[in-house]
Amino acid sequence: MIEGTLVDLVPFEDDFATYLETWMNEEAWFRAHLWERREPHTEHDVKKFIERMEKDERGALIGFQAKSGDPIGALIFDHEWPRVRKAEARFFAGDSRYEGCDEVLDALLMLVRYCFETRNLHRLDAVALPFDEAKLDHLRRAGFVHEGTLRRHIRWDGDYVDMEMFGLLESEWPGYAAKVAELGLQPSGLEPKPKPEKKDEKKDGTG
Amino acid sequence: MLEGLLVDLVPYGKAFQDLDHRWMNSEASFWSSGGERHFMSEAMVAARHAQWAEERERTGGGSGVGFGVQTKDGKPLGYFGINWLAPAHRLAMLGAKIGEPEYWGGGYGTDALLLLLDYTFDWLDVRKAWLMTTSMNARVMRQMEKVGFRLEVRQRQSALADGVWYDWLAYGLLRDEWAGRATLVEQLGLRERAAALGSGAK
Repeated sequence: MIEGTLVDLVPFEDDFATYLETWMNEEAWFRAHLWERREPHTEHDVKKFIERMEKDERGALIGFQAKSGDPIGALIFDHEWPRVRKAEARFFAGDSRYEGCDEVLDALLMLVRYCFETRNLHRLDAVALPFDEAKLDHLRRAGFVHEGTLRRHIRWDGDYVDMEMFGLLESEWPGYAAKVAELGLQPSGLEPKPKPEKKDEKKDGTG
Repeated sequence: MLEGLLVDLVPYGKAFQDLDHRWMNSEASFWSSGGERHFMSEAMVAARHAQWAEERERTGGGSGVGFGVQTKDGKPLGYFGINWLAPAHRLAMLGAKIGEPEYWGGGYGTDALLLLLDYTFDWLDVRKAWLMTTSMNARVMRQMEKVGFRLEVRQRQSALADGVWYDWLAYGLLRDEWAGRATLVEQLGLRERAAALGSGAK
């Protein structure tokens, strides 16, 4: 675990894996995976995705949770390129109540901190849809610089839409503590969700 | 085969694969990869070919379309192709490498690019073609502007070449911005270039 200001980063297991069966079929997931064809994900797909990320030497899947232990969403760094020390940063709030809240921004700051201060990366890439106000706001507040627009690049809900491209250099990162002090993060005060039912506690004999 | 004025695009067969070992370890790869210096043995190159063949067989064509580029008299020059085709978005990411440096800057790559764009838009019904190059590659940047691509993204300090940071640049061309091969052949003087070289012209 790495402790942040409003959230903690934890291994992606237990309740996170259960929640992901829902999260991987919701809007926040697809907005974090713009290239992928939008299609339903079964429990098997979710299990395979987690297994793939666990084996991925160029990326990682990390859970982030509120200080109460309530799982909020996932951080993904992916396509790490060791020679130029860069990677792609993705994040999403699986629990949609937290969308736009400072808990998600803190998670993004913690991902940047991990990539620059632990993994010694030089640069992070990020992408957002032009109408994804919450994500754009988080990226800008975290210090990501808008580097251009891939025009009418992907199909999205009946139209061809732009992709807004961002980058953050290690030399532009003031450090986690300084960034948190600058932003004045505020907790949302949301109540924790009830914990999900464990698969092996089901009474239908399939567990 | 796609017939151009200076070059033809043909299957990337054995004649090309046999040259890949030299091309992969050459300056051509340094430029096309954004600063990578490969040390690839013949066995490594053969393994890569086997991997591509296996992927094509497994997926019924792979995720892209590759062509060999050759002169009108059949000399292999390099690769041009769609490295990644995304049918759901009708989007094609292009890639290229002219392995023989004496053919850089002579219009061969531009002729190959026009053939590839024609194929991409007119045969595959792609809506947008895009590609990436680095800010150290002035030759490709000029080529992009000549053909009508627009610079869309500049990813700062994302390429490292011989100890110097460069930017990766994303260029895009929408189908409704594509002037068409015939128009560009005339605008860019490729017919005159082919006539001067005595190449067969289409």
